[in-house]
Amino acid sequence: MTSNQVNEYRRRFMAGLGLAAGATLAPNFILRSAQAADVVARPDNEPASSAKRWGMLIDANRLTDGGASMVEACKREHGWGNDPQASAEQQPQWMRVVKVTDKHTKHSFTLPVMCQHCENPPCVDVCPTGASMKRADGIVYVNKHTCIGCRYCMMACPYKARSFVHEPLKDQKPHSPRGMGTVESCNLCVHRIDKGQLPACVEAAPHAVIFGDLNDPESRISQALKALGGTQIRADLGLNTGVRYLNI
Amino acid sequence: MFSTLKSILGVVACAWILVGCEAAPPPTNLAPAKEKAAQCVEPTEDIRKNHMAYLMQHRDATVIEGIRTKQHSLVECINCHVTPTRADGSAVHYEDKDHFCASCHTYAGVKIDCFQCHADRPDLASQTNYQHKLGSAESYHFSTKLSASPALSAQDMQAITSGVVQ
Repeated sequence: MTSNQVNEYRRRFMAGLGLAAGATLAPNFILRSAQAADVVARPDNEPASSAKRWGMLIDANRLTDGGASMVEACKREHGWGNDPQASAEQQPQWMRVVKVTDKHTKHSFTLPVMCQHCENPPCVDVCPTGASMKRADGIVYVNKHTCIGCRYCMMACPYKARSFVHEPLKDQKPHSPRGMGTVESCNLCVHRIDKGQLPACVEAAPHAVIFGDLNDPESRISQALKALGGTQIRADLGLNTGVRYLNI
Repeated sequence: MFSTLKSILGVVACAWILVGCEAAPPPTNLAPAKEKAAQCVEPTEDIRKNHMAYLMQHRDATVIEGIRTKQHSLVECINCHVTPTRADGSAVHYEDKDHFCASCHTYAGVKIDCFQCHADRPDLASQTNYQHKLGSAESYHFSTKLSASPALSAQDMQAITSGVVQ
């Protein structure tokens, strides 16, 4: 048998299994409102531990607006997206809505894309100063105190998740420092997680997103992933992302 | 004659130069902080001399390890020492002479770059109770916490199973 025939056989076999396509978040996983039980506050004086790994499961079918409300919530929380002197291309972008269309079938869907919080982050690999870092609990972000703005990480990131601040800023949020000459990206709202709150985008779309600890087999997100699978974007890169999607 | 005049002039010039050294640092505006606590997070002499060391230490502990104690947190310093607006309603920024940090740093001639990224005044929108007293329960650190997820009504169940997102 040539490999073509093998693939053909496999395809028919898989089709014969009659796997139900497009499982959606079942009622027992559904949230009607942000549930703080998914995130337990750490005591102030305790460092983040590697016993946890934070992750997110986004059901693209349940996002009525394709994720625009999540992006808006992120903008409000961190104060990005409206830097006065930046052109449209230069505007920082921690999160965006991507529309994907199949060239052949013209089937299209939208999904929100932000930092995927990889287990093996390319941005951390290439950073010359150690500013791009992964915290013990799996959150990937930029330590802006050591960032020199070289933008290697922006080139390394396969998700285009990082952006650069080109201009002096004023009146930043106390919990989210942003400044000229540094790279920034989604930090999974560390300041909120540390207090036991959900990230801003998750609170904005509680009916479509599950947030929680991937290392805990009992957590709602682990249960949902076990039952429904969930897709990584660019799974071929083997980065083991912390953000997963359904129905894309 | 000329040489004595020159020496007198020299002495006068030296005295003139030294006059500036007598000036004490300008008074820092401690009023907003005094309203909230009798004592800073460290003894006054210590914090004046070593605040930068405390801040650096806390900075790395927070960003790298995720330790978020309040004692040496920059946000808490700002909450305590800086009022969001002046009496006339204008914003206080660190470039202004009357900003708490700038009041001493301009005198010492030491540039601070914290505020290129960090907020230089309390943000009322995100911290409605930024005025909390030291050591009190900070009531601006709560969010919508629910002990358990609310029970689903029949209507909810129908909405969910029909695939219509509320």
